[in-house]
Amino acid sequence: MITKDISQSVVKKDHVDKVAGQLPYISDVKMEDMLYGVLFRSPIAYGKVLSIQYPTLPEGYHVIGAEHIPGGNFVKILVPDQPIFANEWVNYIGEPIFMLVGKELKVLYQLLDEVEVEFEEHEATYTLDDAIGKMTDVMATHEFGESLQSIEKIEQEAYQIIEEEYETGYQEHVYLEPQGMLGIYQEDKIQVQGSMQCLYYIKNALISALACDDDEVRVIQSPTGGGFGGKEDFPSMMACHVAIAAQVVKKPVMLLFDRSEDLVVTTKRHPSKIKYKTALDKEGNILSMSTEVFLDGGANTGLSPVVLQRALLNSAGVYKIPHYHAKGYVLKTNTVPNGAFRGFGAPQSFAGIESHMGHLARIAGKDPLEYKRRYLVKQGDPTITNGRFRDPVFMEDMIEDLLETMKYRETKEEFTRFNQQSPRYKKGIGTSLFLHGCGFTGSGERDHIKATVKLLKTKEDKVLVKISNSDMGQGIFTTLSKIVAQELNVPYEEILFPYPDTKDVPDSGPTVASRTTMIVGKLLERAARRLKEQWQSGAEQEIVEHYVHEEMIPWDEKTFSGDAYPAYSWGVNMVEVEVDSLTGNVQLGEIHASFDIGKAIDERIVKGQIDGGMAQGLAYGFMEKMTSKQGKIQQRSITDYGPPTSMDIVHIESKLYDNPYAGGPYGAKGVGELTLIGGAPAVQSAIEDALAVSFYQIPITPEVIIESLEKREGEAVDKI
Amino acid sequence: MVTKTVDSYHFDKLEETIAKLNEEDCTIIAGGTDVMVLHKSRRGVAPKIAGPVVFIDHLSELKQTYLAEGNLHIGACCTYGEMLEHSLIPSVFKKAIREVAAPAIRNRGTIGGNICNASPAGDMLPLLYIFNAKLVLRSFLGDRIVEIHDFIQGPRRIARQQNELLVEVILPDVVDEESTYLVFEKIANRQADAISKVSFAGLLQVKDGKVADARFAFGAVGPTMVRSLEIEKKLLAKGYPLRAEVLEEVVADFSSVINPIDDQRSTAYYRETVALKLLRYFLTSKELS
Amino acid sequence: MIKFKLNGSVVETDALSTVRLLDLLREEFDLIGSKEGCGEGECGACSVLVNNLVQNSCLIPIGALEGAEVQTIEGYSQTPQYQVLNECYATSGGVQCGFCTPGMIIATEALLSKNPNPTEEEIREGISGNLCRCTGYNMIVDAIQLAVKKGDGLW
Repeated sequence: MITKDISQSVVKKDHVDKVAGQLPYISDVKMEDMLYGVLFRSPIAYGKVLSIQYPTLPEGYHVIGAEHIPGGNFVKILVPDQPIFANEWVNYIGEPIFMLVGKELKVLYQLLDEVEVEFEEHEATYTLDDAIGKMTDVMATHEFGESLQSIEKIEQEAYQIIEEEYETGYQEHVYLEPQGMLGIYQEDKIQVQGSMQCLYYIKNALISALACDDDEVRVIQSPTGGGFGGKEDFPSMMACHVAIAAQVVKKPVMLLFDRSEDLVVTTKRHPSKIKYKTALDKEGNILSMSTEVFLDGGANTGLSPVVLQRALLNSAGVYKIPHYHAKGYVLKTNTVPNGAFRGFGAPQSFAGIESHMGHLARIAGKDPLEYKRRYLVKQGDPTITNGRFRDPVFMEDMIEDLLETMKYRETKEEFTRFNQQSPRYKKGIGTSLFLHGCGFTGSGERDHIKATVKLLKTKEDKVLVKISNSDMGQGIFTTLSKIVAQELNVPYEEILFPYPDTKDVPDSGPTVASRTTMIVGKLLERAARRLKEQWQSGAEQEIVEHYVHEEMIPWDEKTFSGDAYPAYSWGVNMVEVEVDSLTGNVQLGEIHASFDIGKAIDERIVKGQIDGGMAQGLAYGFMEKMTSKQGKIQQRSITDYGPPTSMDIVHIESKLYDNPYAGGPYGAKGVGELTLIGGAPAVQSAIEDALAVSFYQIPITPEVIIESLEKREGEAVDKI
Repeated sequence: MVTKTVDSYHFDKLEETIAKLNEEDCTIIAGGTDVMVLHKSRRGVAPKIAGPVVFIDHLSELKQTYLAEGNLHIGACCTYGEMLEHSLIPSVFKKAIREVAAPAIRNRGTIGGNICNASPAGDMLPLLYIFNAKLVLRSFLGDRIVEIHDFIQGPRRIARQQNELLVEVILPDVVDEESTYLVFEKIANRQADAISKVSFAGLLQVKDGKVADARFAFGAVGPTMVRSLEIEKKLLAKGYPLRAEVLEEVVADFSSVINPIDDQRSTAYYRETVALKLLRYFLTSKELS
Repeated sequence: MIKFKLNGSVVETDALSTVRLLDLLREEFDLIGSKEGCGEGECGACSVLVNNLVQNSCLIPIGALEGAEVQTIEGYSQTPQYQVLNECYATSGGVQCGFCTPGMIIATEALLSKNPNPTEEEIREGISGNLCRCTGYNMIVDAIQLAVKKGDGLW
């Protein structure tokens, strides 16, 4: 079909196969002679491998270890500190030491049990607090903003100084499809297939590990059952494992994770600690603020330095704070490495700043929303890195509109009455205001990614989209095809978008950072426009388009100044909760949300991103709890971790504000990550409103609530 | 590497099943929702169950629910789903069943399985305790009837002899739900597919302004359900609404018998605090005459 | 030898009685529509119908199936009810990554075959054992509500 307005929804390209269950995910693939791999993992958090005793291997069973790696024994991400097989030092529980490969999983598991490894254990750093205490293993740090001397001067003259510490916990992706990767050996070449977000990250990791040429490795994305960042950096490691094994045994090698293995060893959202020091005048106005962000990187650097950048860039939220200073660190701990997760550092920062602003409002005796609005950034305002919010900012309109839709004031009054009469259940309403910088931070797109897209027109006049981005459920097969179809003015069904294969797609960059629709979509829009101009029916044609950098205030990573992002998406969430003061359980009430994402490429797909992202964001605030004890993840099942079920989530009333961005296709900006960010802070603010208690952490579990309520009751008794 | 084949039995009749149990120590599988997880292997491999297995959930003798002499008999292999639809099952049980996992589990899991799994967080157990459930254990020698609190000895420890099968659960003198204040509360990390962090079942009857019957059981706050006949007895004939000092004494008594632990699901502090809050709320929130 | 009905045909297997139905379906019968998301009955991706009731195939030892009727998404996708669900899930946007979808469809069928006119609360309860991490469930709930309207009389 040809739609008049691109936002009009169409049936998704992969809908039919997915509903019927016949689309083969990697665990559905079987090959002749295929072997399985299982990893022997470190049982200790930090120490030296002294000796390994392998059991006697039956015929056809192999040990694959560091000695089989032709290239460097590390997964290439930013820093070469992540071993493929840890053959000397182990840095966390679950770190792969070697892999056993063979035909029967049952035999492999049994062999794994018979392995004996002797370690020399060393004293490990288990928690972020330990790491902050030592400050010895700093994996990355940045500092920017107003000088501390001038802030000190302001503080000395201030009416009061408010210092707060805020903590956020782990978040686990729980993509429904556990991680899986298949390595295939073919005449001196290696092919890797699997569940992934970033084909070229994997390809580059393979070239480095296999020390081979570009044309000797090939990466193909399998249908991917959810990613959320969890399949951004982690699959590179698994790809190295299966590729090395396949090269040694010259057979296909499949590595599939169990859910419990996946929960324990794959990357998670960084736990964080954020410290705020804010100077206020007598009326509660902010005079200055300095923020310190600490991220728990886990055992390897991974993507953490970039996560820290985003955390810092968002540390002042959507506010214009006078005299702002920020500093941040990624610290090493001997725990599972943390990595990418939808939002990439921003959810921690927004939870923190929204919480802090809410508390400052209470100190000033103001309604939190009213207080926050006084500091909202406007078009033309500087960012905290001295960039500019160049495009229109509709936050005020969005807030006003939501206040009216949800009858904010009446609801608040109604809740006050309800709470006075109800001893057990307490209702509250909370708001969060947030943004998300679309695309890579700073000049990443220009200097590191350099995206290239290709459109291929066949003799039959079918158009194929050739890019390296993954559809992991978010729907780019559909949205990007729509952009191309709209530009070419052909029915959307005629655009073909096969699963990407590095053999025939250029590197259009990774599927991360809310960049695919905006950056890659824009390149495809341009490519389609050119194809249309040059269209020759019956001829095979190829159009290649490269990234063009938009002129902004130049980004300087050293000084952390300039425009960090080309564009921002915006959001407002308003959430009602009912808290059971007897048990601390929280039930969601009405939820309203408003977003400015430029322009929706497909309204239904965007709604899917909103509902799914908000469910994850809300649950991050009060439900999903993962802890590590002596370096060991404690929640080893989905139930113990507790992502929301259909009964935990309620209908979400959402709205979109058209605010087309010239740099995006049809005006579109990023969506995916934005939708998660506001959930947790809105829930916190609603719980605080219901109970009239301040919290300094997420998730605000029933345990946290009961402890606070008991403490308050104890204090009340003490006063009598 | 030879892997032993698991023998398994699937008899048409209960009698034959009982006879086999007398010959061999078997792993009994009713719905299998606990056994399959308990013995789970890693992906792609059947669970590791040592010794022979006997399947029982198809036995119609174990699926009967009926009233006899005022007692409610529930077949051990009645699934949660079946109980939910049965008119004789007390509504407070149905409330508890609706909070068990999710429909797919409720279609397999059985009441007998929930009892024999003897989890400190077993969803049916607090109510079964306060309903004074008796269990019928059958062997080739005949039936033996045991009180549920004698049968469950600790986490996954039960007083079943190798040759016995739990065939029936009896709820004696089923209380009239109209005139009795009955409460079940399951506290967990989410609304479905969750394991109790604390659970509470309470029963209270008040006649002529005095407590005529009071029973309480707590789940997930100790190795087995916590119920104390001694504490319950103290409440009998006390005026209702309870005087503050009576209430405080009961709460204090329970506080000394509840001994929860910290684990991956919750904290000891939370479990104890909430258990006592639920008790206090139960004893004060309702006007009864 | 264990004998049961699978998608309408009688099948026999000499696999061990403790083998999980999920493995039997995927390995012996090449039915890939039932997915393994957790292997512990906590995600619902492996849902099948056993005697018309939704169950987790990862928790069913095949020895318990003697004489039972099992329907997987492969069998169910041949029914007119499936066609309605397929269409309604498309119109409502109930499918993202697709990994939970076959199980979700099976749970939907089990719900509607028992209760053709469920309330929103009943719908949420009906799919409460089927974890979805992409959609936040609401568009799946919409799909089921739409199916109730469109499939008038089918259930």
